[in-house]
Amino acid sequence: MRLPRRVPWLLLQCAAFLLALWAAPRLGPLWGALFPDVQRPVWDQRGWFSLLGAHLLLSVGAVAVAGVLGLGAGILATRGKGRLRPPLDALFAVAQSVPPIAAIALALPMLGFGAAPTMLALVLYACLPVMRGTVAGLDGVPSAVLDAARGTGMSAARVLWQVELPLAAPVILSGLRVAVVLSIATAAVGAMAGAECLGTPIVVGLANNNGAYVLQGGLFTAWLALLADRALALAVR
Amino acid sequence: MIRFDRATKRYGGRTVVDAVSLEVRAGHLCVLLGESGSGKSTLMRMVNRMVEPDAGRVMLGGRDVAGVGPEQLRHGIGYVIQSVGLFPHWRVADNIATVPRLLGWETARVSARVDALLELVGLPPEEFRSRYPHELSGGQAQRIGLARALAADPPVLLMDEPFSALDPGIRRGLQTALRRIHGETGKTILFVTHDVEEALLLADELAVMQDGRLVAHGTPAEVLGRDAGPVVRRLFGDATLAFHRLGTLPAASAARPGPADGTPALPPDATLKQALMLMLEQGTDRLALPGGTLHLADILAAA
Repeated sequence: MRLPRRVPWLLLQCAAFLLALWAAPRLGPLWGALFPDVQRPVWDQRGWFSLLGAHLLLSVGAVAVAGVLGLGAGILATRGKGRLRPPLDALFAVAQSVPPIAAIALALPMLGFGAAPTMLALVLYACLPVMRGTVAGLDGVPSAVLDAARGTGMSAARVLWQVELPLAAPVILSGLRVAVVLSIATAAVGAMAGAECLGTPIVVGLANNNGAYVLQGGLFTAWLALLADRALALAVR
Repeated sequence: MIRFDRATKRYGGRTVVDAVSLEVRAGHLCVLLGESGSGKSTLMRMVNRMVEPDAGRVMLGGRDVAGVGPEQLRHGIGYVIQSVGLFPHWRVADNIATVPRLLGWETARVSARVDALLELVGLPPEEFRSRYPHELSGGQAQRIGLARALAADPPVLLMDEPFSALDPGIRRGLQTALRRIHGETGKTILFVTHDVEEALLLADELAVMQDGRLVAHGTPAEVLGRDAGPVVRRLFGDATLAFHRLGTLPAASAARPGPADGTPALPPDATLKQALMLMLEQGTDRLALPGGTLHLADILAAA
């Protein structure tokens, strides 16, 4: 079993990440050395941990919504003879192809400043991988198993719930994993619309020509996305 | 028990099952024999409404199956398919317990039933109950498939080429097991196959299909009679038809009554085919039977 050895390793990586977040404001000389022209290279406008919390809330919340929509659409797309598959796939592909920054900009007038437009953009972005994973997972259920399940007199709902979804779960989860990583990495854009997150230092840094802020925000966003990817890879197993 | 009444199925412009009328009596094992594409599986799947007929009807125990909800109907019909279709994420015991659980049996009754069924299909319960399907050989998996189909003690069993994907030795073991189980349980079984040897080994009744039509129906001896039509002759092989026919006739009925003469003795339930094989093997032209003697000439006369 590789699992027990990989779990402590993952926890160690999480600890390193949290330690780095704690240390960032205390590493003034490091940021100063990296960005000698910047007046105030240490990010101290908001606590890193509150930015982390807000970032996770935003991205995980968006994935939760996208998960429900994508799973539902994936199930719908595989029912009957799959007649709903092309329109649903097209709809979700279009939703994903809107750049999140554009989605935020378009949603601003309606949803106002803050987390709401970012949430919408992230949901649009994350639905497609969940739906594709669901469809692929359900398609992968052996037809003999379905034939046997129906032949024993299981209702369609029971076949879905007890046979199809459990067998499709690994593929669905890998779709969800893609969605989480995309969502965490993309949530940083939300700072443009005033949503607090790990992207806030990036946006503030860009506005004030402060490369140290941009580096710190970018570093922690990417690190968090990678950590989430590792953690979900373990969960999928 | 099962009666097809001009049952018809069309896919696109093609008539896959063409006005088939056929009656399978309770407790009989009826083999639907035909080449692939002859419509035999489609016909069989009308019984549990996996296929709905476009015309005609299917009666089960005197009731039109179209009037019974598909799920309720299927709880009373065992279903075994070639690819087995065990649920890979469930242990053997849970697979077998599928229908009893759907019917809401108590846990104790379910587990007792699971063990009894594992015994019935010849697999030791303590060794197999907690295995996963991927830990089974093909033959074992199909035995579990059969146990699952029998779980809620349905009066009718539908078997769609259940042994066709197995190695010959394993297949013979399962055929023997099925004959034994059929004898012990008295189920009405509709068994689809394209294998003539298997058909002759298992069938109480033989129904031969070709291009969606039923071309012959009766006991194996009747179907293989001298007046057999071209389809039957082609399926069984024109040259070997007489030999197959011998396999359907009991040796005892052709023997001359009187004191047993001739040394090699035949078991009482032997067929004329076995008698002929034994004669060829032993280089003799007469065999002893309980209460009579069988001469080579008797075999020729019967064939």
